[in-house]
Amino acid sequence: MQAPDKLDQIYIGKKGSAPISAPGWTAKPADGVKLVDCDVHQIFREPEDLLPYLPKFYQEHLLDQGLHLPDPGYANMPYRRYRSDLKDPELKAREFNYSLEFTQKELLDRWNIDFALLTGPPPLYACAGLPDPDWAAALCTAFNDWTIEHWLEVDPRVVNAILVAPNDPALAVKEIHRLAPRVDTVAVLMPMLTPQLYGKRIYHPIWEACAEHDLPVVSHIVGDSPGSTPTPAGFPSYYTEYRMIRPSLASAQAASLIAEGVFELYPNLKFAFIEAQQMWAAPLMWHMDADWKALGDQTPWLKRLPSEYFREHIRVGSQPMHEPPQTEQVYQMLEMLHADETLVFCTDFPHWDWNDPVTVLPKLDEYTHRRIFAENALDLLRITDDMIEAVVA
Amino acid sequence: MRRIVVGKVAEIPVGGRKIIVPFRGRAGIGIFNVNGSFYALRNICPHKRGPLCTGEVAGRSTTSAPPSLTDGFVDYEREGEIIRCPWHAWQFDIATGQCLVDPDVRVKTYPIIVDGDDLIVDVDVSDFIAE
Repeated sequence: MQAPDKLDQIYIGKKGSAPISAPGWTAKPADGVKLVDCDVHQIFREPEDLLPYLPKFYQEHLLDQGLHLPDPGYANMPYRRYRSDLKDPELKAREFNYSLEFTQKELLDRWNIDFALLTGPPPLYACAGLPDPDWAAALCTAFNDWTIEHWLEVDPRVVNAILVAPNDPALAVKEIHRLAPRVDTVAVLMPMLTPQLYGKRIYHPIWEACAEHDLPVVSHIVGDSPGSTPTPAGFPSYYTEYRMIRPSLASAQAASLIAEGVFELYPNLKFAFIEAQQMWAAPLMWHMDADWKALGDQTPWLKRLPSEYFREHIRVGSQPMHEPPQTEQVYQMLEMLHADETLVFCTDFPHWDWNDPVTVLPKLDEYTHRRIFAENALDLLRITDDMIEAVVA
Repeated sequence: MRRIVVGKVAEIPVGGRKIIVPFRGRAGIGIFNVNGSFYALRNICPHKRGPLCTGEVAGRSTTSAPPSLTDGFVDYEREGEIIRCPWHAWQFDIATGQCLVDPDVRVKTYPIIVDGDDLIVDVDVSDFIAE
């Protein structure tokens, strides 16, 4: 037998720089913003991390009762739903490093992301289902302040979708006014599963506040609540079924916003639906347009085709991206979606079903690529030229 | 192909693994000890290029029918023989590289030669060395 080589003999290049992840994003062109990620979850290690940001009354509530967030109890992936390759070897099995430094190392630096929109921990979206509106608002405020201190004031690439609970619109408006003056507030985060549809007039004060500050609404699945079953026919049994309701939920919320005239009332309001897949948007536009021609007399406040409101005002997150059997079908889908206007790139880092920017879509023409991976998001989010200058310098 | 000593038998106990990624940007390989036999897989998932060999090694659930009062007991089989990619959770048979959720997908495997205390692999050099 030929004498085998020693491992050392085949090293070329720098040792000890082995990545946790597979080959990264390297095709970074010469200048400008190239990659905006509209769904990055920042997560606190334990609920007690929020104590310094709560008034005494609610500190007692948290210590005594916990977060009290409703949870229907679906099994997610092992490792607390995160990518198991991100497990920190320093920590106990199935624990993670929740720090900004970790997100910088594993996401922002590794994949050359210019801006990352923080979308919080999904279990917290269940603030929409808390019976006590003041506790829900206090929790959102505490989480937003924790994010400011630990994430926003450290890295200019990290921008925030401030979390508000929709069920008491006056309290949501108060939080929007409180944080809108911060430049790193670039969107307002709200759950997708709510006790009433977002076109309803009860929510209009929230949309008015967003429009006043030129902040888009980013609505992320899901927002569990004892008062809102995830389907009109109740609770699915299994997590895989539960995931399948997302497109219908996004579709119902988008139809409500369009039909109830929200975009006539607030012409600069933008709304993004995140982590609900994408294809739902095409049949919604077609179906609403067809029905508008027949039923338009019932909603005469709609002056344009419903699809025109959609394309101007509503954006769709790219994760989890459909994987149809033929690559050609991806291109057809992108065309049907008007993806160069409507699709915004999302990783969903650090969750197991994340999409990386390299393999998420087949090769696109340069214009479509730029729109999906950067420009649609820059048009959507309240990101200023100064902020762009700070990150691309 | 190059013949390389990738480790010692004692380094990788039953259920253990060793991942060799010489430097950034290369897939590398993962070496696994499944019930006393050694296997090597390319550390890159054929689905979306995730770092497959860093995933969870486990078994899989199995049943003959949907749950009911009289049937459909969910059992667990092949403990320690299956790896689940940390990105998107596709399952692969460590011994053969066969993907268990798509019959058309397979991850590259490398035969392991046990020579005394040495674990030796014939690797595709491109998995280690920049062109």
